Amino acid sequence: MNTSKKKKKTYLPLDVKPTEQPDAPNDTGYFLVSFATPLTPGETVTLEVLYILTHSLEPFPSEIAQSESQLVYYRDSAVILSPYHIKQQTTFFKTPSARVESFTNVEPANRAGKEIKYGPYEDRAPYSYAPVNVHFENNSPFAVVEELVREIEISHWGSLQITENYRLTHGGARHKGVFSRVDYQSRRSISGSSSFNALLAVLPPKVNSVYYRDDIGNISTSHLRTGFKKDLLDIENTREKLDSSKPGSMTNECSLWLNHDKLIVCSIPGVQVGDIFFYRIELCIIELEFEPRYPLFGGWRATFIIGYRVPLEDYLFEAPDGRRYLNFTFGCPLVETIVNKLTIKVVLPEGSKDPSAVLPFTVNQDLQVKYSYLDIVGRTVVVLQKDNVVPTHNVPFQVYYTFKPIYMLAEPFMLVSAFFFVFVASLAYVHIDLNIVK
Amino acid sequence: MAATPIASPIPVAMYPTLSVVTLAIGLVITAFFFIYEATSSRKNRSLGKELAAAAVASVFLGFGSLFLLLASGVYV
Repeated sequence: MNTSKKKKKTYLPLDVKPTEQPDAPNDTGYFLVSFATPLTPGETVTLEVLYILTHSLEPFPSEIAQSESQLVYYRDSAVILSPYHIKQQTTFFKTPSARVESFTNVEPANRAGKEIKYGPYEDRAPYSYAPVNVHFENNSPFAVVEELVREIEISHWGSLQITENYRLTHGGARHKGVFSRVDYQSRRSISGSSSFNALLAVLPPKVNSVYYRDDIGNISTSHLRTGFKKDLLDIENTREKLDSSKPGSMTNECSLWLNHDKLIVCSIPGVQVGDIFFYRIELCIIELEFEPRYPLFGGWRATFIIGYRVPLEDYLFEAPDGRRYLNFTFGCPLVETIVNKLTIKVVLPEGSKDPSAVLPFTVNQDLQVKYSYLDIVGRTVVVLQKDNVVPTHNVPFQVYYTFKPIYMLAEPFMLVSAFFFVFVASLAYVHIDLNIVK
Repeated sequence: MAATPIASPIPVAMYPTLSVVTLAIGLVITAFFFIYEATSSRKNRSLGKELAAAAVASVFLGFGSLFLLLASGVYV
């Protein structure tokens, strides 16, 4: 529901639940949207529904050479599939480039540049459907993470260590023929127009010890842009050196800015009272721009590991009932990439009991045991698994557990007893008298 | 939400200093222990002194090696 007040839209999020209907035609799925207040007769309400489809663009031709552009099919309906009677509707398709090979002509349909307009259609019965096929050029990077395993290791001694294992593919039209490095480097605008060679990952503000490597070793083609410098003695220099508007405007161009027309009041992890900032954008952006060892063409794959550490106090909290919980962001830190299979493993310290995870959507939960440094019984691992993850899934989730602080002493106690054993052994050696004759 | 952040019981910035100090004390007491073993004869040895030195030295060395591990980035 949105209400317009002087050209400023305010959005009220509504509750959406998937449901089932008994007489659903052809495997139709249903979602139930609950209004904030009941709708009285004669009243109107404006709804904005956003849904994201993954793997819905079919590359056609399915194989392209290095110098060709990528064309894809998008299949949809000119009239929306709805169980309600629709009095009037218009459908707009917005394509990323002005090159559209063909589109189904469902009268009245016309095209203007990057926009195809279908309609307006009057008085359509429920469940009416007019299939439309748009064939257009799409050279945006089809970065698909086939599998991502994120391991978040909690250490009560002060840090959260995050290790991410990626298997990245180019999900667009497959590359056929040879790869000519000469063509690729000399005529970059024509050659490999649908390929990509760099990706952006957004990391939490107070991150340190970032590494980017794969099975071969460290990959040096990466840049970590911090965006702000929190040095009280350096305020004058900092103001001039800041170029923090650049990552902000760049992510805006990629439509990365979330909630830019909403007002959300909350605390930002990593930012405390007393921190000094000059621009609001500094609060939110630390990004890692990294390049795989080779540019990715259709069907090519790259595997790598990104790891970093964040301070514990930004993410671990104590609930009023005494339990501890980790508040972390779900999803993948890469911008504008979908993840086919995401696994998040939260490794709880030794001695943690009753683990449970709270998420705003359904995931598969599991428990495992991991043996790490100075472990006797092993650490409990909460495994959350979800398929088909998009950047909209980057919402906070919590993992609750109980922990008695006295268990933290188990690790130094182990070390102390090891040293004591060495001393006792040397004592025994000195005291033992193996003389046969006195 | 009434949630208090949880931090490490010892400030993280103090880990390197603490590790050097505790390891130094531990090594001094270890030295005392071994010197005592080497210089005393079988008759004059006092088991109480030896065990006390061993216990204190192992406590300091144990905590010192823990802080050394934490300071070098192996958050155990």
